Amino acid sequence: MNPLIFTTILMTVLLGTMIVMMSSHWLMIWIGFEMNLLAIIPILMKKYNPRTMEASTKYFLTQATASMLLMMAIIINLMHSGQWTITKVFNPTASIIMTSALAMKLGLTPFHFWVPEVTQGISLTSGLILLTWQKLAPMSILYQISPSINLNILLTMAVLSILVGGWGGLNQTQLRKIMAYSSIAHMGWMTAVLVYSPTLTMLNMLIYIMMTLTMFMLFIQSSSTTTLSLSHTWNKTPLTTTLILITLLSMGGLPPLSGFMPKWMIIQELTKNSSIILPTLMAIMALLNLYFYMRLTYSTSLTMFPSTNNMKMKWQFETKQITLLPPLIVMSSLLLPLTPMLSILD
Amino acid sequence: MMTYIVFILSVIFVVSFVGFSSKPSPIYGGLVLIVSGGVGCGIIMNFGGSFLGLMVFLIYLGGMLVVFGYTTAMATEQYPEVWVSNTTVMGVFLLGLLMEVMLVLYVLKSEEVGVVFEFSGVGDWAIYDTGDSGVFSEEIMGVAALYSYGAWVVIVTGWSLLVGVLVILEVTRGD
Repeated sequence: MNPLIFTTILMTVLLGTMIVMMSSHWLMIWIGFEMNLLAIIPILMKKYNPRTMEASTKYFLTQATASMLLMMAIIINLMHSGQWTITKVFNPTASIIMTSALAMKLGLTPFHFWVPEVTQGISLTSGLILLTWQKLAPMSILYQISPSINLNILLTMAVLSILVGGWGGLNQTQLRKIMAYSSIAHMGWMTAVLVYSPTLTMLNMLIYIMMTLTMFMLFIQSSSTTTLSLSHTWNKTPLTTTLILITLLSMGGLPPLSGFMPKWMIIQELTKNSSIILPTLMAIMALLNLYFYMRLTYSTSLTMFPSTNNMKMKWQFETKQITLLPPLIVMSSLLLPLTPMLSILD
Repeated sequence: MMTYIVFILSVIFVVSFVGFSSKPSPIYGGLVLIVSGGVGCGIIMNFGGSFLGLMVFLIYLGGMLVVFGYTTAMATEQYPEVWVSNTTVMGVFLLGLLMEVMLVLYVLKSEEVGVVFEFSGVGDWAIYDTGDSGVFSEEIMGVAALYSYGAWVVIVTGWSLLVGVLVILEVTRGD
């Protein structure tokens, strides 16, 4: 793609999300979503093969449907309150339709079916943008309407998302689909605590973005999209095998690493609100996630996966230099002692 | 009949939407879009919005639909699909018509429709009398306000249209 056009389109994706996050008029928020959707389509379609075109079409159709539902909820809200500000949603019908529309944009169950298929069809860098940047805009709107969200619907969608994200990722060997199911599960954790404490949703979003950025950059550096090719990293860059181990364990939510912080805070906040069965269920279902991360670490870092002999003596080409990678790895594994600083987020 | 003109026009509006949603060839979709655009203009005019109705005819039908018609005429096939040529298309069309007939009977029986939310008629656009230079209508003042208070909206929509053209050119370029 022409570099000038690519820069313009990338800046428009950023501008769309910024408009969504900064507007106080519902119509501007809708315009921001549409601008975001329109501009990310050529980024998803950077290579012109049938897979990317199919993935872009699926993404466009689901997100356009979600935008239409959002517009309908906005108009119902306008009909019942006569104004366009987003501080409060005045009608329960509008609130439910809006929650469903934003759940479709995020990829929560039962609207999660597009996430693995779209993530699989596009390149690793486009998948990175899809799973991290595109979650910011809908989550910011959910944060702003959180007092008016129907708790039953949101909690049902959250718990089902954690279940589907864990269960669905079990049979996958393609790394992009694994990251997609991990994204579904993390979105479930984020929306579960949204009504109780939106600050923790934002904390979870921050740490999830850091960890997903790290994982995708590690994949980009070794250009691996399947478990099999990831298992050859011990020969290419042996240090990244250890880093993959640490980051995957952090994504699974294991204690001394920073991925534990959001899960701990969410479970604490839920039990403070006298719901005990729900966080227990959520923690048990997070074990499914941990299982397929552990399977990745088993084949990558902990064992030498069976391969042919010429795979064990690879020629050392120039390694890709990703400048952002070391700080990201440190942030996604060592942030846990900073938990008392959470008080500044309130 | 004149008291029910909005109702009749809305029914024709929905029927023409059913007509192109049942997906005949795009040429015939454009045909019912003309009908639905004209009828929609009539609905808006009955609420006092003469300027916006004129905009529908001029910009929507006279600009966008004309370009759509020309491009579709260039890309059409030898025997385009009509509503009656394909069983699926005719089935969907008849299903949509049936649902519309049932909804009309429901509306005529009870005075209002309360399916998801209550809809029992809307108010007109407010007409102001400021006293200095006569009567101002709210809808055309809204268009004027778009260019004064709503300058940011103009910038954003203008940028979206530019990026829309860039995106379409980029997507259809192929390689």
